[in-house]
Amino acid sequence: MSAPRPSNERRSEREALAAALERARHLLPAQAPIRSFVHHNTLHAFEDLPFDEAVVLAAERFGAEPYELESAFAAHLASGRIDTGDLDAVLREAAIDDAPAWSGGPSRRALYELRLQHPLELPQGAALAWHLTEGDALSRFHPAVSEAARARILASAARALGRHAVDAPAALAALYAALAPHAPAAVARAPGPRPRDRVLAERGVDVDELVHPVLVRSCAAFVDQGVAYWSMPARARGLFPAFRALYAAPGGPPDPWLRGLGAELAALEGQAPEEVALDALRRLGVGPADLEPVVEGTLLALRGWAGMIAQLEARPDRAPVWRPPARLVDLLALALLLEARAVQHVSSSRAAPAVAASARRSEAPELVYEAFLLAQLAGIGPHELAPERARALVALVAELDGITRRRLWHRAYERHHRDRVLDALLAHVERGVPALARPWAQVLCCIDDRAESLRRHLEELDPSIETFGYAGFFGVSMAYRGLGEASARPLCPVAVRPRHLVVEEPIEEAHARRVAARRRWAGRLRHGAAVGSSSLVRGGVLAATVGMLGAIPLVGRVLFPRLTERLVHHAARATFGEPATRLRFARADDDEAIQDGLFGGFTVAEMADIVGALLGATGMGAALAPLVVVVGHGSSSLNNPHESAYDCGATGGGRGGPNARAFAAMANHEGVRAELARRGAPIPEGTWFVGAEHDTCRDSIEWLDADLVPPTLEAALERLAAQLERALALDAHERCRRFASAPLEMTPARAHAHVEARSADLGEPRPECGHATNAVCIVAPRARTRGLFLDRRAFLVSYEPAQDPDGAHLGALLAAVGPVSAGINLEYYFSFVDPEVYGAGTKLPHNITGLVGVMNGHASDLRTGLPWQMVEIHEPVRLSMIVEADPQKLERVLAAHPDLARLAGNGWMHLIAWCPDEGRMWRFERDGFVSHERARRDVVEVARSPELYRGRREHLECARVEAALGVGAR
Amino acid sequence: MTLEQSLRLAPVLAIAAPALAFALIALRLGIGHTPGERWTARLVALAFGVATLAIAGAASAMLVGGLTEVHVALGAWLEVADRALPFELVLDRLSVPFAGLAAGLVGLTGAFSARYLHRDRGFARFYLLLCLFGAGVELVLLGGSLELVFVGWELVGLTSALLIAFFDERPTPARHGLRAFVIYRVCDVGLLSAAVWLHHSAGGAGLDASERWAGVRVPAGALDATLVGALLLFAALGKSAQIPFGGWLPRAMEGPTPSSAVFYGAISIHLGPYLLLRAAPILERAPLAAGLVIAVGALTALHATFVGRVQTDVKSALAYASMTQVGLIFVEIGLGLPWLAIAHVVGHASLRTLQLLRAPSVLHDRGHLERAMGAELPRAGGHLERLVPARLQPWLYRLALERGYHDALVADRVLAPVVRWLRALDRLEERWIAWLEGRPAKVAREPERGEVVR
Repeated sequence: MSAPRPSNERRSEREALAAALERARHLLPAQAPIRSFVHHNTLHAFEDLPFDEAVVLAAERFGAEPYELESAFAAHLASGRIDTGDLDAVLREAAIDDAPAWSGGPSRRALYELRLQHPLELPQGAALAWHLTEGDALSRFHPAVSEAARARILASAARALGRHAVDAPAALAALYAALAPHAPAAVARAPGPRPRDRVLAERGVDVDELVHPVLVRSCAAFVDQGVAYWSMPARARGLFPAFRALYAAPGGPPDPWLRGLGAELAALEGQAPEEVALDALRRLGVGPADLEPVVEGTLLALRGWAGMIAQLEARPDRAPVWRPPARLVDLLALALLLEARAVQHVSSSRAAPAVAASARRSEAPELVYEAFLLAQLAGIGPHELAPERARALVALVAELDGITRRRLWHRAYERHHRDRVLDALLAHVERGVPALARPWAQVLCCIDDRAESLRRHLEELDPSIETFGYAGFFGVSMAYRGLGEASARPLCPVAVRPRHLVVEEPIEEAHARRVAARRRWAGRLRHGAAVGSSSLVRGGVLAATVGMLGAIPLVGRVLFPRLTERLVHHAARATFGEPATRLRFARADDDEAIQDGLFGGFTVAEMADIVGALLGATGMGAALAPLVVVVGHGSSSLNNPHESAYDCGATGGGRGGPNARAFAAMANHEGVRAELARRGAPIPEGTWFVGAEHDTCRDSIEWLDADLVPPTLEAALERLAAQLERALALDAHERCRRFASAPLEMTPARAHAHVEARSADLGEPRPECGHATNAVCIVAPRARTRGLFLDRRAFLVSYEPAQDPDGAHLGALLAAVGPVSAGINLEYYFSFVDPEVYGAGTKLPHNITGLVGVMNGHASDLRTGLPWQMVEIHEPVRLSMIVEADPQKLERVLAAHPDLARLAGNGWMHLIAWCPDEGRMWRFERDGFVSHERARRDVVEVARSPELYRGRREHLECARVEAALGVGAR
Repeated sequence: MTLEQSLRLAPVLAIAAPALAFALIALRLGIGHTPGERWTARLVALAFGVATLAIAGAASAMLVGGLTEVHVALGAWLEVADRALPFELVLDRLSVPFAGLAAGLVGLTGAFSARYLHRDRGFARFYLLLCLFGAGVELVLLGGSLELVFVGWELVGLTSALLIAFFDERPTPARHGLRAFVIYRVCDVGLLSAAVWLHHSAGGAGLDASERWAGVRVPAGALDATLVGALLLFAALGKSAQIPFGGWLPRAMEGPTPSSAVFYGAISIHLGPYLLLRAAPILERAPLAAGLVIAVGALTALHATFVGRVQTDVKSALAYASMTQVGLIFVEIGLGLPWLAIAHVVGHASLRTLQLLRAPSVLHDRGHLERAMGAELPRAGGHLERLVPARLQPWLYRLALERGYHDALVADRVLAPVVRWLRALDRLEERWIAWLEGRPAKVAREPERGEVVR
C-alpha cells in the first residue's frame, strides 16, 4: 500500500504504537465477563495520584464528573447534611488564610465560606446575557442577600455616586460596573486530538456513528460465549484476522462509506495489525506527537468493548465458555482502518459542507457576574471596590471555581458523617460495653456491611451469642466444583489463584445418578424448547400448539412471583429429589497429584494453617463456644444481569456457602484438631462447627452438613436455628425501610415475605440494596461495637489487638480487607457521582450481549460499573477505615504494605487509628497521623433496633441498643 | 340489561377505559401535577381490568347466545350527500380473541412495570403511552371500518415510536424511535390508500358480515381487489417488521423491557396479520395478492431465522425470532389457513412476551441449565457449518451479521429520499415565510445521506 520506509523508522513507530497501546490499556475499564462481577476501584489506574488530583484528571480524560454535582451539594446544604461547622473545619484544614482579602476588607476565609454557603445558579453565555439585559439581575438584589448587606451596599453606592440616597437598581448597576472591567479573557475550547473530533467540528458529522456499529457487531460476534446459534467463522484466529476473512470477500455491505472495503482488506493479506494501524494513522494525518492521544482517544471512545477485549487478553481464563484469542491491537487496527474510511468519506462528501465556526467570545462575563453576586452577599458596595480590589475579588472567585467548590463541599460532606461515627464509637466505648458471659454459640459471618444488621439482631435476641466477622472466603482459597457443575470455578479473592480443588460429592452414588439423569433429561427438554422457540420450523410448531401454555407462567411470574417461585421450587424438588452430599476437601500429605494445575484437596498442615490463622486473627480461638456456625453469603434474584455483583466479594463474586462449609469441615477434621493441639492452639473437644449460607436477598439460611452435628449439640443447634430465623425476619424488616416500594408499617413476618417476593420477581430491578450506603470499616473486637447501631453501613472485621502485639496479624488482615472494602466503596462512589460514564446507567434498557456484559439496546458500547438502581441510595463518601491500634503500630503496618500505604496516603480511603481505652483517635493524613478532635454529642439509646429505624427511610446516625448489651429486656 | 345492550357496551368499554385512563393521566401531567406511582398503576390496572372483563363478558355472552358476529353501530362520523363514514364496532370470532388477549397482555405489562419502572422519572409518561397504545390497539381490533382501524393504527405507531425513544437523555433511542416512526408513516400510506380505493371501487371501507368473521368489503373488479390486497399488505409490512422494512425491530429494543415485550413480542407486531385476516375475503378473491403475502412472509421468515442465528445479544435474537414467526403467520394467511394463523398468533404472543420479559435472566437461567445438564450447553450451529460449503460460510455469515444488507439499502434508497424530500419542503416553506415576512431565508444544512436514519 505505501512505499517501503527505512526499517528503523518503522521500528520506532511500532515501538511508539506499542507504548501508546500499553498506556491506553490501563485506562480501560477492568471489568471481567459479568458472570463473576468483582468490585474494584473504577479509577484503579490513577491510584498513584492523590484522590483529589486523580478524580479531576480522570474527569477530563473520560468526560466524567469528579464529585457530586453542585446541585446535589446545594441540596445537602439545604437539608443540613453539610453544616457551617463542617465548612469551617474544611476551610481551616485547607489552610485558607484568615488575612483580609484587601486592607480593611473581609478575610479570604470569610469570603470562601460565604461562597460555599451559597451554591448559586450561574447562567452561562447567552442565558447570562439575557439575565443581565432583560432579566432583573441588575435591578434587584439576589434573594439570598441579607438586609444588613443590602443596607451596606446602598450606603456604599450612595457614597460612590456622591448622592444622598440611591435605589437598588442604581446601586447594583454601579456595583456591576465596578467589576465589569475585570472580566478575564475567555479560553477557547480546542477540539480533541482525534481526526474524528476535527471532522465533527468542521462538518458536524460524528464518524463514530458510522464506525462503532460495525465495531460493536464484530467485537460481540468475536467474544460471544454462546448467545448466537452460529458463531463467527475464523474467530479462533483473532479479531482482526476474522474480520478480514469475513469482509475481504467480494460483495460486501452496500453502505456508501464501506464501498471498496473488500478490496482494501484483501490487499492487507499477511499484514500485522500493528502495520495496519500505523498505515491508517498515516492516512488520517496523525503525526508522531499525536499518536498517543489518538490511540487513547480511539480506544476510550468505545471503552466498554475495548476494556472487555483487554480483559480477555490478560485473563482468558475468566471467559466463562470460550476463550477468544483477544488482542487489543486487533481492535485498534480495525477501529483506525474504519475511521480512516469514514473520515475520507465524510470529508469528500458534497452533502456535508463545512460548518461555519461560531463567533468566539473574547471575554468571560460569567466570573464577573459571580463576583457581583458574592459582593452582594458580603455586603461589599461599589465604593469599596477600587480597581485593584475589584480585580482581587474576581480573582478570588476564579480561584474558587466549580471543581474547587465541589472538592471542599465533598470534604465537608464526608467529614460530617465520619466525625459523627468516630464520636459515636468513642462515646459507646466510654459508656461501657459489658463483658459477655461465656457464649453458648458463636456465629462467624463475612465482614460484609449487610451482615451488620443480622449480627446485631441476633445479639439483641440473645446477648449470649457471640458474633465475629472475617472475609467471607474464611481463608479457604479453592477451586470448587458443586454437584452437577461442569467445571470448577475459583472461590477466593480475585488476586489469588486457587491451587486446591474441592468437590461436592453425593453420599449415595446410585441415587445421585438417577437424580442427575432426570435433571439432565428435563434440562435437555428446556434447552431444546429455548433454542427451538427461536428457530423457524420448531418455533412455528411450538408456538401454534403449546404456545398458549406460556400464558400460565406469564401470569404467575408477573402477578404472583413469590407463589410461583415456591411452586416451581417444590415441583422441582418433588420431581428430581435432592441427593445429600459431602465435600471432598482433604488429601494425603504425600498426594502431590496435580490436575489442571490444582491439588486434589488440602493436606492436614494446610488446613491447620487456614483454621489456625482465622481463629487467631479474630480472637475466636481463645474461647470457643460449644457451637460455632460459619455463615457464608450469596444473593439470588431474577432478571438481574448484575446478580453476581450482589454476591460475596471475598470469594471473587461467588456465593460463600461452600467456603463456610469447607471451613467448618476442616475445623471438625480430627487430623486438623490434632495438629492444632500440637501447635498449642487446640480446639476444645466439645466444640463443633457448622456451615451455612445466608441469602442476603431472600434473607434465608441454608444449613450445610448440619446432620453431622453430635447428638449433644442437636438441641443447641435447633435453638440457634430458631433464633437465626427470627433474626433473619428482623433483618428483612430493617432492610425494607430502604425500599420505597415497601410499606413502612410492615411486621417482620410480612417484611420477610416481601423480600422473598423481591428475589423471585422478574419485574424488580432492586432485589436488594447490595453494598449501597457502605461508608465505614471497623477493624476491632466485636466487644467494641456490640450494641452499636451502625445502620448496615459498616464492614466489621474481628481483630483482637491484645493477641497481636507486633501487628503481624493486623498487616495480613488489612492487606486483604483494605483494598477489597475500599474497592467496593470506590466503585459505588464513582457509579454514583457519574452514573453514565462510570456507572452502567439505568438498568431498564439493559440487554445482555455475548453473556459477557450488558448494552443499551442492540448496538451500544458495553456498559461497565454499577447500574443506577444499585447505587441510588448510596452516600458517596470515601471509606473510613477505623482500626483498633495505636498510630505507631499502624505506621509499621503501612511501611510493610506499600499497597495499603498508597491507598491511605493518597486519600482513597480515610485511615483512622483508635485506642479505645485512651478514648482517642488519629486520622492518617499525607504526612502522618493527626489527632481527631472529639465533639461531645448525644448518642441516642434505645432498647431494640426497630425502635430506631421503624417508620424511617433516611440514613440514620449511630445509636446504642441495650438489648444487645445484655442489659435490655430479654 | 339485555344481552344486546351489554354486547353494545362491551367494545365501547374496551376502548373507552384505556382512553379514559390516558385522559386522566394526561390531564394531571398537563396541569403540572405529576400523578403518584401507586395512583397511576392502579388506574391503569383498573382500566385494562375493565377492558379485559368487558371482552371476556362479551365472549361468554356470544357463546351463550350462539352469536358469531355483532355489529355495534354508534352513529356516523360524517355524512355527505349519499356517502357516510359509519362509526361502528365489531365483535366477532376474530376481534374477540385478539381484543381480549391484547387487553390482558397490556394489563399484565402494566402490573409488571409498576415495579420495573418504580422511581424512573418517566414513570407517568410510560403509563400515559401504554394507555394510549391500549386504546389504539382496541380501536384497531374492534373498529368496524378501515377508517376507524386507521385511527387506532396511527396511535399504535405513535406510541411505539415514543416508547422506543423513552430514554430521551441519550441520542440513540430518539434516533431509533424516529426511524421506526418514518417506516410506520411510509407504510401507513398503504392503509389509507386501501381505504380510499375501497370507497372508490366498493362503495365503502366498512366490514361486511360473512360466515367466518366480518371482512373488508370486496371490490367487484379483480384488479381492484388485487390492488387493495397489495395496499393492505404494504400497510402490514411496517407494523409487523416484514421484509424489507424489518430493520427497525432490533433497534426498538432500546426502550424499556416491558414495552419491548408487549409491543414487539405480543401485540403491535401481530397487527399486520390481524389486518390481513380482516382482509381474508379480498385475498381469497385476489390470488396474486395472496401470493404476495406468502412471498413476503416466506422471505421474511427465511431472512429472520438466518439473521437471528448470528445475533449475539439476547433481545436482538428474540426480535428476529419474533420476525420469523410473524413471517410464518403471513404465509399461513396467504395459504388460506386463518384458524391456524389465529392459534399461531395467540401462542406466539404468550410465549414471546414471557421470553422478552425474562430476557435479563438469561445468565441466571443458563447457570441453572448447565447445572441440570451437568455439562456446558451443547454448541449450536455445528450442522450449519457442516451443511454450508466452507467457501460460502464467510459470505453468508457476513450477510447475516449485516442483517441481510437491506437495512442499509432501505436507509439509503427509501428513508433518505423521504427525508430529503421533507427537507426540501421545509426549505420551500422557509422561503415562502421569509418572503411573506420580507426577510432573507435561512439556509439549513443538507443532511448527510443516511445520517438522520442510521
